[in-house]
Amino acid sequence: MYVYKLKQMMKLTLTKIAAISLLSIASTSIAAANDCNDTGPSSPVSVHCGDAPSATFDNRGRLWVAFVQDQHVYVSYSEDLGKNYSAPVAVNSEPENAEYNGENRPKIIVDANSNIFISWTKKTSPRFTGEIRFSRSNDGGKTFDAPRTINDDGLFAGHRFESLYLTESGHLYITWVDKRDLEASIKRGENYSGAAIYYAVSTDQGASFSANYRVANNSCECCRIAIAPHGAENIAILWRQIFGVTTRDHAIAVLTPDGTTQEMNRASYDEWQIDACPHHGPTMIQSKLSGDYHMSWFTNGDLHQGIYYARYSFDEGQPQHVFRVDGRAGAGHPHLGEYAETLYLVWKGFDGQSTNLSLIKSIDDGASWTDPGILFSTAQGSDHPLIVSGNDGLYLSWRTQEMGYIFEKITANEEVRPGD
Amino acid sequence: MTNTRFPAGLFTRLLLSSIFLCSAPMAVADNFSAFTAESFEEIKSSFEGREFLLGLWSVDCPPCMVELAFMAELVKLNPSIPYVLVSTDPINQRDYSAEFLEDIGMAEKESWIFADSFVERLRFSIDPNWYGELPRSYFFDSDHAMKSHSGIVSEELLIEWFEKTLHFR
Repeated sequence: MYVYKLKQMMKLTLTKIAAISLLSIASTSIAAANDCNDTGPSSPVSVHCGDAPSATFDNRGRLWVAFVQDQHVYVSYSEDLGKNYSAPVAVNSEPENAEYNGENRPKIIVDANSNIFISWTKKTSPRFTGEIRFSRSNDGGKTFDAPRTINDDGLFAGHRFESLYLTESGHLYITWVDKRDLEASIKRGENYSGAAIYYAVSTDQGASFSANYRVANNSCECCRIAIAPHGAENIAILWRQIFGVTTRDHAIAVLTPDGTTQEMNRASYDEWQIDACPHHGPTMIQSKLSGDYHMSWFTNGDLHQGIYYARYSFDEGQPQHVFRVDGRAGAGHPHLGEYAETLYLVWKGFDGQSTNLSLIKSIDDGASWTDPGILFSTAQGSDHPLIVSGNDGLYLSWRTQEMGYIFEKITANEEVRPGD
Repeated sequence: MTNTRFPAGLFTRLLLSSIFLCSAPMAVADNFSAFTAESFEEIKSSFEGREFLLGLWSVDCPPCMVELAFMAELVKLNPSIPYVLVSTDPINQRDYSAEFLEDIGMAEKESWIFADSFVERLRFSIDPNWYGELPRSYFFDSDHAMKSHSGIVSEELLIEWFEKTLHFR
């Protein structure tokens, strides 16, 4: 039954999926987006007018979205998959400069007991200083704790690009890009390339966090960190790392609750020699088929140029099935999802007039891919696209100027999970 | 962070040669012009038949800080360097960017800031092959033939440009 339906799904052309999606959003978000005033603070507070949204489902299938508007992180939920949203609740009651851009957005996780965890980066000055902020709600999103700062160095230094992940065992991890070691090196009169990767873990649903643990020195300073599970309580992270003097490729490692980093290795070999901020962080998920890691990233290196995909196995220690997803100018910001043993990869491109959101799929764990199809197209500004996993499929989470906040299923409706 | 040093010779050449360039410094608190899809052509027109250097930066980019501090020293020595700054920060966050330029003493240099949230179109208007990495520099000769560089602009590139293009000796 499942195989038959999967085959049927693969027959459904991407164009058709796009047509279905475009029709269904037409009535809802465009009107909502038109209420937004991009240049002033007079816009109503909503997922459509706010910036850099992140989304997740709770275990009852309710959609939760966190976004930034007018120096507040807000949370809103939807009972009908994004058609209507609840009145947004402010997480921070005092305004603060929560960062919002494609690479750095507030994160949201809802656990099985309806505790809501929110993290973000607070800008503390124009000179790239920031703090890693965390807040939670124990009453289903009605109220949020006063935000706490998770970096424990007390330094007016850079702590940015945080990522949040809750493991099956209930360990809540926050990872981020940290400049305390850079500051210390400067004080000693020594050179230090880039920044460092740090993390902290909570074992009590965010009531408290461990000390900060360093994962690696000399990371890139300005790219998001990707997180995927590694067993019940560990996580695997993928980030842009400086190899040698200026090579900004990727590294992968396993982080554990006790603060030890394991199996750190180079994950991409693009030879991007650049003393700059690419502002292009990777995406990574764990394969349900093989347990390996699906990775996708942008590079403009000597060996590779464009968006790439590869599968990484900690046993092999090498990227495999390296595939150039899109080598055209303007392609960037890939995001991965997996559902019903099918891998989905979305990314943005620009053809000189419009931004096109493309999708490819793989049904053999990343060994081969479908031809790309265009999901959406817009001739106005847009955020990085994200794929959100739901019980019944994968959804695209994408804020656009033209259409507002798009939350649309990208897996076909006739798909079923294996075993259903 | 990278330590940036210049040869004394470059400073001397800049000081001596400042006389060859007409100076038109502006003095406004926030000196930003709104950078739209048409602005790049506008900038090029204003430098018709002349060399110039376009420097793209953002407050989100630590290496830009190194480059801007480096360039600020040059600009201080010779305010008439044909150097145009473009911040890719959104114009509704211009205060941050302005404060930054003020801090490093570049507030009076010709400066633009991205004024369209459709940043892909703005980037494309400058160079379809620019992926958004910063800092990004474009060196233009008097025919406006363009040479691009990603990452902190090197001393060698600057010296080459000053010598060959601007005929600094």
